[in-house]
Amino acid sequence: MKVTGDSLLPDFMNGDFVLLLKIPFLFKSLKQGDIVVFKHEDYGTMIKRIDLVDKRASTVTVFGTHEDSIDSRHFGPVHESDILGKVIWRVKKVS
Amino acid sequence: MIHQIITKIDQKFNLPEAKAHCDVPCGIYDPIVAQINALTVVRMIDLIHDLESKAMGNRDTAYFNSMTRYITVKEEHAEKAKNEIRVIWGDYIKAQHVEQYPNLPILVHNIFQLGSRSRQSVDRAVAVEFVETINEFAEIFWATKGIATKRAKAPYAPALDLVYPDL
Repeated sequence: MKVTGDSLLPDFMNGDFVLLLKIPFLFKSLKQGDIVVFKHEDYGTMIKRIDLVDKRASTVTVFGTHEDSIDSRHFGPVHESDILGKVIWRVKKVS
Repeated sequence: MIHQIITKIDQKFNLPEAKAHCDVPCGIYDPIVAQINALTVVRMIDLIHDLESKAMGNRDTAYFNSMTRYITVKEEHAEKAKNEIRVIWGDYIKAQHVEQYPNLPILVHNIFQLGSRSRQSVDRAVAVEFVETINEFAEIFWATKGIATKRAKAPYAPALDLVYPDL
């Protein structure tokens, strides 16, 4: 997948590519600090960092690193069923 | 090298995108605009009282012209101040800021109320309180950015204290 936007600067930047672990995807393996790609009904497919995993509710709270990031501070936790995958490899954009 | 190869693949097959989405990332927020607008409200109230005291009952067309202008500017700037705070509150302030400064919602509500009361009356004390409450908001705003503040008299009438970032 191609990363667009700057809310995860400096770790991920606009134009990077990421490889996702999608299938089989184990929600239980997710932990704080993991980068996940998920779908959101208003914002489309998003990439953010996990701040909190709530295994009882099957949700994760996600944040960007930029102060203007649109994330769980705006739309609340993300449900397991909306998570498309966990980033396992980043191909950094050549500047 | 790898990025260039994947870029070629992306150009051919249009890989899906994952948005690290931000709001319009200008990041330019500053309560000084609200502070100056509130200060203008105090200035207009001073001019209104000054004009009235000098008229000594002799209200001619020039009087009504000036009075109307002062009132109009007072109305506009009170509303502008409220709107500036509304934008910072809505677009910049996050839940973590409210957790850190739990009095922030009450402070913002007070600003809105004082702004409205400043429009409704010519009570200088209310307008001064309007300025001061926005000053308190400014102190918190800069604190959320880890920036110290200082107080200094505005270099123009009515020369009230304003909070500035101490850079």
